[in-house]
Amino acid sequence: MKYKTLKLIFAIWVILWISFLMREMFAKGGLRVYSALLNRSLDDKRSYVTGDNFYEFLVFCNDKLPEGAVYGWTKIDKADHAKRRSTYYLYPHLEEEDADFLLVFNEPFSAGPGYELFAKLDDARYILKKKKKGN
Amino acid sequence: MESLRLVLSIFSALFIGWNILYIISLKNTRLSFLEKLFVSYGLGFGFISLEMFIFHFFSLKFSLFSIMVWWIPLIAAVLLVASKRRKSHRPGGKGAVTKKTPLSVLERFLICGISFEVIYAFFRALIKPIEAYDAIATYAIRSKIFYLAGSLPHDFFYNLSLLFPHPDYPLNIPLSETFVYLFLGGLNDQLAKVIFPIYFVAILGILYYAVKRLSGRAGALLFTFILATIPQFNHFATNAYHDVPFAYYCFTGTLFLLYWFKEPGSRGYLYISAVMTALAGWTKNEGFVYCVANIILLSVFLFLNRRTIKKRGLLNGFLYVGIMLLVLAPWLWVKFTANLVNSDVGSTSLEQLNIFKQSYKIWPIFYEFQRQIFGPKKWNLIWIIFILSAIVYRKKLFDESRRYATISLILIVSGYIFAYLIGRDDIWHMVGTTWSRMAMHFLPLAVYWLALLFGKFEPDI
Repeated sequence: MKYKTLKLIFAIWVILWISFLMREMFAKGGLRVYSALLNRSLDDKRSYVTGDNFYEFLVFCNDKLPEGAVYGWTKIDKADHAKRRSTYYLYPHLEEEDADFLLVFNEPFSAGPGYELFAKLDDARYILKKKKKGN
Repeated sequence: MESLRLVLSIFSALFIGWNILYIISLKNTRLSFLEKLFVSYGLGFGFISLEMFIFHFFSLKFSLFSIMVWWIPLIAAVLLVASKRRKSHRPGGKGAVTKKTPLSVLERFLICGISFEVIYAFFRALIKPIEAYDAIATYAIRSKIFYLAGSLPHDFFYNLSLLFPHPDYPLNIPLSETFVYLFLGGLNDQLAKVIFPIYFVAILGILYYAVKRLSGRAGALLFTFILATIPQFNHFATNAYHDVPFAYYCFTGTLFLLYWFKEPGSRGYLYISAVMTALAGWTKNEGFVYCVANIILLSVFLFLNRRTIKKRGLLNGFLYVGIMLLVLAPWLWVKFTANLVNSDVGSTSLEQLNIFKQSYKIWPIFYEFQRQIFGPKKWNLIWIIFILSAIVYRKKLFDESRRYATISLILIVSGYIFAYLIGRDDIWHMVGTTWSRMAMHFLPLAVYWLALLFGKFEPDI
């Protein structure tokens, strides 16, 4: 009786295991993601998992921000995954409140009070710099 | 070339761990070569990261030379002891040769299943760089900071760490990642993820040999297959979260304590347990639950066996706690001096420690527990089997061969419940977002407990 029960449980386990594997690979698009990543370089993979548009902007920011510069974001939520990724990729640049540089992503171009354009990737992705007092 | 450097980094950790294991397991432990390898892996990374952490106190910079050179005296001591043991070993006749039975159909299937999950775990880990939420926000950022600075920056715990989530989290895995980066010569966070599926393999290997002692090869393969195929568990071996490495240390710490209970003369098991449990505390804050649980478990064992163990038992108890404190001392020192407080369970007021006043949280806790077990999206069939087995075999739970594993699980779950009760965050949010991961920490022990319960397994396939 014990072994019959164990055999039944094992059979159910194996069926569930295979069905979950198939679901992950096909229904959830696992195979599609793996084939997209397989022949990419490390940087291209980072771009794929982060979002090509966003990653391109982060690379642009890293290139343009002066050494030791601190930055802020205009409209990305603190707990947003994109924010966490930006913290990682932009380090050693650190985020601060009331920073000299503001990173603007996916917003139409607008300098806003107290800031001027510092560097622009395109009309929706740019860096603003705080105006010096007296300007 | 990068692959070769990666292999060298893993081999270095294994080699150091092997030498540490040799010293701490001198006292009559019976471990197979592969068991030693699986234990050496966690020991190696645990102590290398601890060493790198200690560099912080002396403002030393990280380099492969500065990290490896300090292990030379240990390696020399091991070589000396090993050569003396070889000289004093009397050559005897050949031991009995155990006849290996051919693999059954079931065993072949189980081996294929386990192999598939292991290969798939490596594939999923190495196909992407680190990108999961906590993995990048909490852990990978730290390993990047350490690698770029070439050290643990002097003011890290007072300034830099406070800018990122959870400044109180231990640094075993971030420093291990930094160690790998040093070998790679760059921040390749894709290749560095290899450490996680290796922890996965090590847990499976240790479980296999643990169950093999109870129920033979077929039973060992069956329960190893069960653990390997739990979706959440094998998924977390690939996403650079710390839960699988943590589960490794928790499981090894408790398992070797259970081994020592069976063979009190083999003190090497006790030392391995103490070190591994302490390294659990060095990997995640929840490790302190396991430190306390194992100390209580040891106390229960010493009390129940006080007539046979006597004074030596008390000494072993003190030794156990002493080893744990020694391993954790550097981290505990920094935690207290830098006032690194956990945001969920830290700086609790006396009122919060009054668990009777917090008893209103019991219903949300148990509601979330059952939701994590029976919710269809999680596939937690293992916990349903666990509960049913506990009911069906209730008379066996506290018999001599199973009582300590049962008590251990009760202590661990109680520890987590206590932490939830005194937590400051909203209880529904706290349990809902963390319990399924917490349960993974003692999942290998739960599978081992199931193997203990079912006993010898002789399939007819």
